Amino acid sequence: MAKSRAAGLSSLRRKDHATAYLMILPSLVALGIFVFTPLVMALEKSLTDWQLYQGTTFIGLENFRIVLGNSLFRKSLENMARFVLMIVPAQFVFSFLFAHVLRGMHQRAGALIKTAIYVPTVISGVVASVIFLFIFHYQGGILNWLLRQLGQKRIAFLAEPSLAQMSIAVTSIWMGFGYNSLIMYAGLQNIPQSYYEAAEVDGATPFKQLIYITLPSMKNTFILILINLMTGTLQMFDLPYMMFGGAGPVNSTLTPMVYVYNNFKSAEYSLGYTIASALLLMIVIGALNSLVFTVIGSQKSQDE
Amino acid sequence: MQSELKRRGRPHRARTAFTVIAVIVTLFSVFPLLWMFVSSFKEGKEVLRANPLRFFPSQWITANFQKLAEDRTYPFWQAMRSTAFVSVSAALLSISINSMAAYAYARIEFTFKTLLWRLTVLSMYIPGLTILVTSFVVVNNLGLLDSYWVLILPGLASAYSIFFFRQFFLNMPMAVEEAALIDGASRFRIFYSIFIPNAKSPYVIMGTGAFLGYWNSFLWPAMTVTNQKYVQVMQVIRSYNNVYANNYGVVLAGSLLAALPPVLLFLVFQRYIVKGLMISGIK
Repeated sequence: MAKSRAAGLSSLRRKDHATAYLMILPSLVALGIFVFTPLVMALEKSLTDWQLYQGTTFIGLENFRIVLGNSLFRKSLENMARFVLMIVPAQFVFSFLFAHVLRGMHQRAGALIKTAIYVPTVISGVVASVIFLFIFHYQGGILNWLLRQLGQKRIAFLAEPSLAQMSIAVTSIWMGFGYNSLIMYAGLQNIPQSYYEAAEVDGATPFKQLIYITLPSMKNTFILILINLMTGTLQMFDLPYMMFGGAGPVNSTLTPMVYVYNNFKSAEYSLGYTIASALLLMIVIGALNSLVFTVIGSQKSQDE
Repeated sequence: MQSELKRRGRPHRARTAFTVIAVIVTLFSVFPLLWMFVSSFKEGKEVLRANPLRFFPSQWITANFQKLAEDRTYPFWQAMRSTAFVSVSAALLSISINSMAAYAYARIEFTFKTLLWRLTVLSMYIPGLTILVTSFVVVNNLGLLDSYWVLILPGLASAYSIFFFRQFFLNMPMAVEEAALIDGASRFRIFYSIFIPNAKSPYVIMGTGAFLGYWNSFLWPAMTVTNQKYVQVMQVIRSYNNVYANNYGVVLAGSLLAALPPVLLFLVFQRYIVKGLMISGIK
């Protein structure tokens, strides 16, 4: 009896292989077709002067050389750096501080506020752009109304390069604030209260508690937030494309994603060239993310 | 007496400060949405006579919404229907295939499991930007341009979603599953009758997430569909933004309607979504 049961189980296990493959098959096929095939193709085609419906010639690293020398591509990298500097630290600090505010709220009020600040997170970049184009509008924008009330002249927020960048940064921060605040709040809530109580007994000042308890305990939260923010900001497309039709005043809102898309649409460069520029950005993103990991240092590994 | 007052006074003041900050921040989050809401009911000229002190329309009118319904070049409701079809079917398919894969990775031993799992996780680290152009080439080669397929299929498999489900399934107790296996239940049967009913929250969280991703997407549809039948609502909003530059109320009205399904879905499932965030924030 016991023997047949064991045999039954092991035959079940053998059958498990087939079942398991059947279960992972749809996702594997989809990832294979829509992620890995394009990736391999990108690696291969970046070394050619390939165009759709045309033959290709292997040209080695020529594309990469041209991309790196292209002034528009460099401009897009510079804009990207500006957006990262404008958005990431601000969003990080705001959400960290606001998480403390959320922690200090009464339960009911806290729940209401969490819901309210999260709503913009589910709004699309296109809709957010429409709203903020309206808010920054020269004639009918609410900001210019405010300036008029203060006796100031109207400002063309969307026409001046640095203000155009700022408009995008504000919109982006508005969209991401709820998500990041709640993640920060979760990280904060996860720190055992006993740490603070012990510190209090030892007479540690709030500042010391922040430095020695809060910050080290939230390492993983910080990594998650920074990587999300950087990856998102580096690939920003909807906002600049929607608010400024892409490049914006003096190319000030030309992000790498817009650069890649514009080249894809126009026939000025080969697809090989466009792909090469996208690959270079993957290297930038990867490098920045590993920088985050090394600087902050994770306690847990990603897998298991 | 006085010292007690002092001692009580400080946390009280801190609490007041917190409340003030909370109210300001909440206003910052919510005001733009309310402003869009009221402005889309305003008459053309009043929209651009911004004055938050006259917050509500002097007269609530629906002309902006009628304009949307009448637009033949970029039919609004057609786009809403098409987007709803794409988002709902994609969300359902996505949670089906991802949770099924997650179950296998969490609960079954099989050859090459570690390798396949690593590959799946690896796909999370490939930025969309990198494969944007070649993804277009792939769907073009498959003859999928201008179809529901091209909108639905590419985003279905998500390593993040598989990862999330797997984490949940790993924590479910072994006993029931083992008993069912001994009784001769198939793996599929176990998955459907034991795992799915007990995993409501990851299904809601990942389903909502997929729906939002599809509903809000703009770049991919803009690259792959031009036929009116398949055009998605964000593409239409983008066109309105150009066409109705002088009649901004129409753009706002369209945006308001396009933003409603995500917001309503979030409000319905917020309990799950906030809980899900709490989990991912700790990991």
